[in-house]
Amino acid sequence: MIALVGLVAVMTALSLLLGSNLISPYAVVGALVDPANDPGAVVWGSRVPRTVLGLLVGLCLGVAGAVMQGQTRNPLADPGIFGVSAGASLAVVIGVYVVGTSSVLATLWLALAGAIVASIVVFGVAALGRGLSSPVPLAIAGTAVSALLVALTSYLVLSDETTLAAYRIWVVGSLSGRTLDGVGIAALFALAGLVFAVANVRSLNSLALGTELARGLGENLLRARILGLAAITLLTASAVAITGPIGFIGLTAPHIARRLVRGDHSWLVPASGLIGACVLLACDVIGRVIGGTAEVPVGVVLTVLGGVVFIGIVRRGRIAAL
Amino acid sequence: MTTSRSRLAAALIAPVLTIALLAGCSSTPQADPAASADAAWSFTDDTGTTVTLDHRPERVASYADYAIGLLSYGLDPVAVFGRVDVASDDRFADYDLGDTAVVGNTYGEIDLEALAEAAPDLIVTGIYPTDREGTLDLTAPYYGFADMEQQAQLEKIAPVVAIEVGGAGSDVIDSLNRLSSALGVSDDTIATAKAEYDTAAADLTAAAAESDLEVTQMYASADGIYVVKPADEPETQLYSDLGVTFTDAHPDGDYYWDIYSWENAAQMMTGDVLLVNVEGYGAAELAAQPTFASHPALVAGQVHSWNGAALDYRSQAAHMEQLASILRESKAVS
Repeated sequence: MIALVGLVAVMTALSLLLGSNLISPYAVVGALVDPANDPGAVVWGSRVPRTVLGLLVGLCLGVAGAVMQGQTRNPLADPGIFGVSAGASLAVVIGVYVVGTSSVLATLWLALAGAIVASIVVFGVAALGRGLSSPVPLAIAGTAVSALLVALTSYLVLSDETTLAAYRIWVVGSLSGRTLDGVGIAALFALAGLVFAVANVRSLNSLALGTELARGLGENLLRARILGLAAITLLTASAVAITGPIGFIGLTAPHIARRLVRGDHSWLVPASGLIGACVLLACDVIGRVIGGTAEVPVGVVLTVLGGVVFIGIVRRGRIAAL
Repeated sequence: MTTSRSRLAAALIAPVLTIALLAGCSSTPQADPAASADAAWSFTDDTGTTVTLDHRPERVASYADYAIGLLSYGLDPVAVFGRVDVASDDRFADYDLGDTAVVGNTYGEIDLEALAEAAPDLIVTGIYPTDREGTLDLTAPYYGFADMEQQAQLEKIAPVVAIEVGGAGSDVIDSLNRLSSALGVSDDTIATAKAEYDTAAADLTAAAAESDLEVTQMYASADGIYVVKPADEPETQLYSDLGVTFTDAHPDGDYYWDIYSWENAAQMMTGDVLLVNVEGYGAAELAAQPTFASHPALVAGQVHSWNGAALDYRSQAAHMEQLASILRESKAVS
């Protein structure tokens, strides 16, 4: 765990030092110490915000992934399953289609609202049906609602090219051009999500033994589910709002964490969060340095590298049935 | 709404026209035997494709930009297809599209049935070179078409000719003029438009000389900044020729754009005037980017929303007047 914290520190340093603008490390340190001495606002205007946001988003997705896989006892569960990404996407698309807004700040609010509304709908659908004790109705409700939302999103973007153009840029997932303005609210939601996730850790350990046994251990299943869902929704919603949907971190970070710290969720959840932060920053740095004066969005780097890494994990054949 | 209205109009008008034509044929068959419209017609376009018809095309369908050029010479297309919504495209504001069917409002989406209903003799679109040398890739679909399959279907409706949009702006205008002449526009009409254009061009040259400013033509989004390379875009090439100075940091490098990530913004901040593409970030969004907020032209408020004009004499005359007045009201900031 200490090694992971160290790795996060190293990644943070790299993310501040490296970029598509090849300024010297001394200049970066100089600008960090003295913000007035920051030509072109490269350090404080670009590197610092994207590093902070990368850490936050990676942490959120890593933690959300670990909680998600713990809740559903499914190693292939991704935080997007509860319709959060689909809800955020639809809200962003509606924003562009109806009002024509694609500013970063408006997108942030829309994505946040869409994600939360979608997960409330999913939770409502599942609660109306067979209840919440088993994770299966939740996952099915999430998949069904996601499919509906994705269909609506597709309809809107395919019928209007302007919307498609704005959506295309957002859906890739990028840390480029983001500032810290207005991110405070997303960070607050993320913080609440982290608190819920920590509070959910003990329940996740009981749930790992199976629903029946968890109940036998005196676990309040409804409370455990609501807490977990709230954590996943808030964490994923704030991440999606900041960068757009970013795949693979929520899926792979828990697997890497499980390899390192085994199955105890009180270690697994934070480890997964730290790994998520490391991976996101690393991929962002790679995208920044391979594009010349332009950049490759982090979402693209992650999709390419994440796919390869995940195949590696599967090939090792050590995915434990949860 | 407007699309369906114009389609309806086309549907109503087509039979009326047919009747009128039939009536004309039957009642006065020898009224104008020497009319060139009845002679065989042949035209070789910029791709080297030769179209031969038994009469000069009277019914022309066109991609929006060239339709604007044809309209400026009084040739009303029977159908038009655009990359953006034609009804709300300001560039058509001066023209009456009442008799024109709008058969496409999105790139590559052309309503083939509606187009066939308009019964064009000829379809006009463009082709962009794939590099600075002007290479034309004829295995790829023409500009405005989705794919080769669609192009083949269009060719079944009517032969297709393409205007090359690359290199010198004046060559693109000449190409449109050559087509317009072949379609029956008189030399006088073209000369009148050219006179208006030459006046505007001379005025732009004068404005550029008095103001001595550097103009940056760009598109910006969350990805970063795309700066147009003046020699690669026909319009900026034309204005450069007329004496306007454009930002041109890397004339050789990549074709058409130089792309800068936001943290590299400082490398392109040499302009005094920013012409920002209407489809990307505007002044407010640019000011929200910390690495761009200090751009002297942005600070001075010398940012103008800019749309690509059609490459014909009249559109260019208007666009050049607009640029000349922007140059005259701006001051040097860097």
